[in-house]
Amino acid sequence: MASMNNESTPVVKRETKNSISVDFEGKLTSKERLMNKLKESNTWITAGVNLVRFLLMLGVSFVILYPFLARIANSFMTKEDVLDATVSLVPKNPTLEIYQAIIFENNYFEAFLNTLLLSLMCALVQMMVSCLVGYGLAKFKFKGNAVVMIAVIVTMVIPHSALQTSLMKHFAAFDLATVISWGYPGIIELITGQNGLDLTFTFWPLFILSIGGLAFKNGLYIYLMRQFFKGVPDELEESAYVDGSGVYRTFFQIILPLAVPMMITIFLFSFSWQWTDEFYHGLFFYTKDPRYQVLLMPDMYTTMPPSLIPPNGYGATTLYTNIVQNTAGMLIIAPLIIMYLFCQRYLVEGIERSGIVG
Amino acid sequence: MEETVVTVAQPTEKRRRRRSASLEKRRARAGYVFVLPFILGVVLIYLPILIDSIWWSFFVRSTQYVNGIPTEIYTPNYFNYYINAFTQSPNFVTTLLASIQELLFEVPAIIIFALFIAVVLNQKMLGRAAFRAIFFVPVIIATGLMDSINGADIATGQTQAGIDDGTGAAAGAGIINALDVQVIFQSMAIGGELVTYVVELVNNIYNIINYSGVQMLIFLAGLQSISPSIYEACRIDGATGWETFWKVTFPMISPMILVNAVYTVIDSFTRSSNPMMVFIDGQTSVDPHYAIAMYWIYFVVVLLIIGIVAAVASTMVFYQRKD
Repeated sequence: MASMNNESTPVVKRETKNSISVDFEGKLTSKERLMNKLKESNTWITAGVNLVRFLLMLGVSFVILYPFLARIANSFMTKEDVLDATVSLVPKNPTLEIYQAIIFENNYFEAFLNTLLLSLMCALVQMMVSCLVGYGLAKFKFKGNAVVMIAVIVTMVIPHSALQTSLMKHFAAFDLATVISWGYPGIIELITGQNGLDLTFTFWPLFILSIGGLAFKNGLYIYLMRQFFKGVPDELEESAYVDGSGVYRTFFQIILPLAVPMMITIFLFSFSWQWTDEFYHGLFFYTKDPRYQVLLMPDMYTTMPPSLIPPNGYGATTLYTNIVQNTAGMLIIAPLIIMYLFCQRYLVEGIERSGIVG
Repeated sequence: MEETVVTVAQPTEKRRRRRSASLEKRRARAGYVFVLPFILGVVLIYLPILIDSIWWSFFVRSTQYVNGIPTEIYTPNYFNYYINAFTQSPNFVTTLLASIQELLFEVPAIIIFALFIAVVLNQKMLGRAAFRAIFFVPVIIATGLMDSINGADIATGQTQAGIDDGTGAAAGAGIINALDVQVIFQSMAIGGELVTYVVELVNNIYNIINYSGVQMLIFLAGLQSISPSIYEACRIDGATGWETFWKVTFPMISPMILVNAVYTVIDSFTRSSNPMMVFIDGQTSVDPHYAIAMYWIYFVVVLLIIGIVAAVASTMVFYQRKD
């Protein structure tokens, strides 16, 4: 009787002004309570599911991270370590010679600065343009809204590599309003009588593509922005209009601050995709002529530093070249990873808040 | 008295209507201003490039010397490039089929994987923030340069085989062996195609993870937008987790499956490591105009497949009416 009474009456353990902690199980010690909980079949199933889920996530994370770990481990190897069959992942004579060669002989810092400027410019311009276009498509009814949306999707579907010959020609002799580039003069040619401007080996082609919302995957950015602005309630703008704010002021002072997480997501996308881009590099910047060369990140990957070229008769030339290239790859993405660590919170947040619906 | 009321009422009604019309017009004009950069870009830059590209595919370019100066001569070729791609080119059709086959393999794998991971990442679990950070690393870096680094990477593969085997000499060994899977599947009496599919899936897991980052993000966004009260109602009615997933989560997420299917098709077809892109790229240095014609054939095929995928996926899509 006494024990039953004990179990059913709750015992107040601690009481403060705002909270009260009550023990419903009477005199059971914490260990006994744990045992009771373990006896319930549900607990074991939940624990098992949690464990399997955790291990699975750990495994997939390993698959993602392993190549990076292996590449970093390989990057410290000497030429002898690469030949040595007993060396795997952990080098016998760790050395920094590959890093030194890439940084100093390939002018890593110059490439870093150039790529930083180019990527920042592209990312900022693309972010702003996709904001504007996305807002226009989401919130305004005008003739041709659907046509513009279809055009956005078309620019997304046709890969730029399909247009590469044409892109190249247009920017090597850039002239507005040239529909067919041979036989028909453009504006510059009509005025000056000369060919259009040669924009290769400058940042201009990518700037022009970005400002027109036509650069790499800009269609996707515009689509994402449009979906985001569609989720913003119209009442917000209406109340701003009632208070006497114009369309543009409302956009810049009320709507844009709301879109910051999404804008950071798009900035992150376009910055990092421009950073690791090699297609436009091959199209507009590829040259071995030092007079024109604008060193960018892909040059780090394609150029083998002279001091690292293996001597004749070396047994694993392909493998060693590959290791040098992988190290260059790691050096290329290192700044991106650092930036990602600071911004990754916004990546998920921005997308989560967008409320994308097909 | 009555007359004055009528005469006063008419102008105000008229004025109000005129004002609202002008507001609409002003809004429409503002809309044009917002999309102006894109319209200008398309009209001044994109369309010329596009038209040029199509136009060129009907011409042969050759260099001839006129008075010792090399000049480019364009001769009309009509549809010959398009016909030649199918009848003359030894590899065009086979590569096209191969890349479609790769797509058929990849799209379901990527979508199922991305959905699965997004569902798991959406639950509360130990180390969720860290896992999320790791899973979205591929979104940032698995394009362009890293794609070709991954493609050319033999060093990592060698060390990996070394890990699996312990001997360091197991060349070309994947993560799992086809034989292992076959043993499991034989007892279940499942066809050989499925075995190869699963084996390829597991051995391709690295690529699949790398290519499903954006899809994962989109699914995660979709999962977040499902109202928690629906799940609460399910729990009260006694639905199990399995039932809740198939009866609630899956229909609610189905619009995102459509978006992701289309995105995956585009992404897979236009990736620079796609066999067709590699093939046409190689053709570009030989005869650019021929390559352009091939690109346009390829593009039409891609559009057809996107249409089919969208049509198939949209029959399964469930739209919740919010209003």
